[in-house]
Amino acid sequence: MNPPSSTRLVIVTGKGGVGRSAVAAAMAIAAGRQSRQVLAVAMTDPTGLASHFGRATLGYTAVQVAPYVHAMGIDRARALDEYLKLQLGFGARAPLMPVARSLEAMAETVPGIRDVITMGKVLHEVQSKRWDLVVADGPATGQIMSYLRAPNTVAGLIPTGRARRQADEMTATLAGEESVLAMVTLAEELPVTETIESIQELERERPISLAGIWANRLIEPLGVSAAALESVKSVEARNAGLLHRGVYENQRRWRKYLPSHHRLPFLFGIHEPTQVARRLAEEVWS
Amino acid sequence: MTRVVLVAGAGGVGKTTLSAGIGVCAARAGFRTLVLTVDPARRLATALGLKSLDNVAHPNPELDLLWAAMLDASASWEAIAHRHAPAEVADRLVTNPFFEAVAKRFPAGAAYAAGEEMAEEVEAGHWDLVVVDTPPSSGGIDFLTAPVQMRSFVGGRILRILTGGRIPGRNALFDRAAKPALRLLDTVLGGELLEDIGDFLFDLRHTYEGIARRSQSIAHHLEQAHMVLVTTADPAPLAEAERFVQEAPGNTRVPIVTFNRSLPESWASPTGTVGDPKLAANLERWGAEAAYQRKVRQAWTAAHPGAVVNLAWRASTPNQLPALQALARPVWASLTQDGSFG
Repeated sequence: MNPPSSTRLVIVTGKGGVGRSAVAAAMAIAAGRQSRQVLAVAMTDPTGLASHFGRATLGYTAVQVAPYVHAMGIDRARALDEYLKLQLGFGARAPLMPVARSLEAMAETVPGIRDVITMGKVLHEVQSKRWDLVVADGPATGQIMSYLRAPNTVAGLIPTGRARRQADEMTATLAGEESVLAMVTLAEELPVTETIESIQELERERPISLAGIWANRLIEPLGVSAAALESVKSVEARNAGLLHRGVYENQRRWRKYLPSHHRLPFLFGIHEPTQVARRLAEEVWS
Repeated sequence: MTRVVLVAGAGGVGKTTLSAGIGVCAARAGFRTLVLTVDPARRLATALGLKSLDNVAHPNPELDLLWAAMLDASASWEAIAHRHAPAEVADRLVTNPFFEAVAKRFPAGAAYAAGEEMAEEVEAGHWDLVVVDTPPSSGGIDFLTAPVQMRSFVGGRILRILTGGRIPGRNALFDRAAKPALRLLDTVLGGELLEDIGDFLFDLRHTYEGIARRSQSIAHHLEQAHMVLVTTADPAPLAEAERFVQEAPGNTRVPIVTFNRSLPESWASPTGTVGDPKLAANLERWGAEAAYQRKVRQAWTAAHPGAVVNLAWRASTPNQLPALQALARPVWASLTQDGSFG
């Protein structure tokens, strides 16, 4: 089950360390296997997403990384330049460099501008018709609302100007049915708590609709009775069994707090990023 | 003399829990200890005796000598403004519409604010040990580079760019009609926004001298600090640990590297037969994980100097004082091994 064809943008978020980039890469690969033209785009540091496609990093130009899948990272200075040219209509005549440099300095200083430029580039790719689906490896859960609010924040700060109209359009695209948010979590206290808080914020403000929650690195029940576990002679087998059972019980406990969610397996011994992404691609939409 | 233990590492590797555990070990060993913590889980906050999410130190209800405080970036920023700027400027700063946005989201800002709090506590003189749990962005390296970044931030780079090189007075911003770049900015952003930002940055410059001085003392404390770098064997946190080692200023101490969620090496090559087929299969998959971890730790040890500590994989995160102490005991042993904690 891939996302419905009306979905053109999936933004993937999650607390640091839960496997957000791996799930984003897996979603892109899975959609590519359905022959959809996919762009995987890193909204923050691109090295995580890049590693799942076997690359050291990703540049501002989309390159093919898997069948039907291209990938890129967002270079803010370039995105800003493009934003000025294409979105705000500054042509070749305008003295772009000083403006871009001033705006770049301002984007560093006033983070709302940084967020809106990154978000703007993602939405620009969604509108470009080159892709059937854009999968964005988004910011961490802690920052996601600030990115989603960015167009609105800018609209609130800027009473006039072309950037204002642009921001209003972005807000509408995010809220439309073509855009969804995917939340990745682990079945542990902090990620679960953060996920629930983020969902509550989303429900209050509704900047984008939620595609679902993906609980990552889940293990299956051991399926061995306590008596069998106690009587096994091998110390290693007993301890591995006890740890397995303990981790499973802890995960089950925290999963109960989550609304219905997709399940992704813990991949024992598999950590090489391209292998992880390919394995998760088999499960991510099932 | 107050000693500092800085706990760094990627998000999700157990930094906050280990910081609390080191605090428990230290207090039990008779040190007056403060744990400065970032975003603890609710249960851990309760175990530490943190009643509110402000940056006030709270005593632990169960353990004498152990205190804990939250590092609250936005509260610290208000304190920074009041500490370093004249009162009326500070009042104007904290009510500027940009203050909240900038204070909460300038990446180096939270790390710098945490550094000021650390320096305050170290210089207050009533702790033997301050354990600092670093803010999660970029694995703690922000914390080490923040003093320099903060200095250049308030040093007015944006004002220099906007006005063409010299640090201006307030009026220079209003001369912008003469400058084509600024006329364009007006069109893009609207003129009112530009004035608000200008006011904000102009007021912020009052804090420059204080921050420049303060950042030097923070940098000094960081040079003295004992470093604990936490990671797991996963590629992503490992890459952040590597980055920390590469980018840490040369005069900081070699960190004790802590591999959290470690499995016994014997699981990778068990001896004897298991019997029960399900338990045999289970040992095989955990054994594959243990073999991977062994490979990673060997590669790390071959490439880096310094102590490596393995912490056993636990089924659930410790959040009671005895379990926290048990978790951190090997790290505490490594910290105190050379007698520098006297």
